Amino acid sequence: MRTITRLLKREKRGISTVIVVMLSLVLVVIIVGNVVLWSYQMNQVDLERTQETLTIANVTRLEPAGLSIDVKNTGAISLHIVAVWIDLTEHHRYEANVFLNAGESATYNRTDIVVPPGVFLVKVVTERGNTAVFSED
Amino acid sequence: MKKKIFKRFLQDKRAITPVLSHLLLTVVAVAIMSLATSATFMITTNLRQTIGERLVVEDVWFNSATGTVNVYLRNVGKADIQVSGVYINHAGQSYNGVSSLQVNKQGLLRIAFSWDSEVAYYIDIVTTRGTHIADYYKAP
Repeated sequence: MRTITRLLKREKRGISTVIVVMLSLVLVVIIVGNVVLWSYQMNQVDLERTQETLTIANVTRLEPAGLSIDVKNTGAISLHIVAVWIDLTEHHRYEANVFLNAGESATYNRTDIVVPPGVFLVKVVTERGNTAVFSED
Repeated sequence: MKKKIFKRFLQDKRAITPVLSHLLLTVVAVAIMSLATSATFMITTNLRQTIGERLVVEDVWFNSATGTVNVYLRNVGKADIQVSGVYINHAGQSYNGVSSLQVNKQGLLRIAFSWDSEVAYYIDIVTTRGTHIADYYKAP
């Protein structure tokens, strides 16, 4: 055993190869680790997006102008509504800022939304990119 | 005394070559490692951006007044997005409006396309990193 240790200590050949391999391994571990970690984070984002569901229970016109939207978070995680679309022949987007906890319902009133008579479609969009649609005749 | 030592040091030419070779080797090793590190950084950054691309279509409507197909896009990912091409029924179309979207930003893309009523079109939007967002949309 002693002889082997002594031999190893004296033998200088192949050291640079070992160092190069170790450095390359470090670089490879950094690249792979970084990518795996990022993929994991993005998987979490996708998972949250699939867990998020919402429905528009009802939409009523307000007098003299405006719209009242009953929204329910039917998913397991909280959500953030960022936009409301009113689709007639013209499509209009209205910025929104509504937070709903899991299972929570809310009535979102907007007096600045002008909806002409006739068939219209209301669509709410969440921050994660999910939508809920309600068609009013 | 000091002068003498300095003179002797200058006159002595022995072992210069090993010192120089070691110095050169160190410089070469440092340069290679710097290159490898920057390459690693670039590769991981590119991969992260590609993995982190998420794009959603908030709304699509066929505008008869302008003769365009309007697509409202939103970047819900973790990397900025650059639209590189728009295809309707697998044929490239010209478009204007938003072509780059920062994280959590949205914008309208107007596709010049003469569409027919009651016909479903396959709209495919491609980013510079190769992400596709495609679906069928029916004209009113």
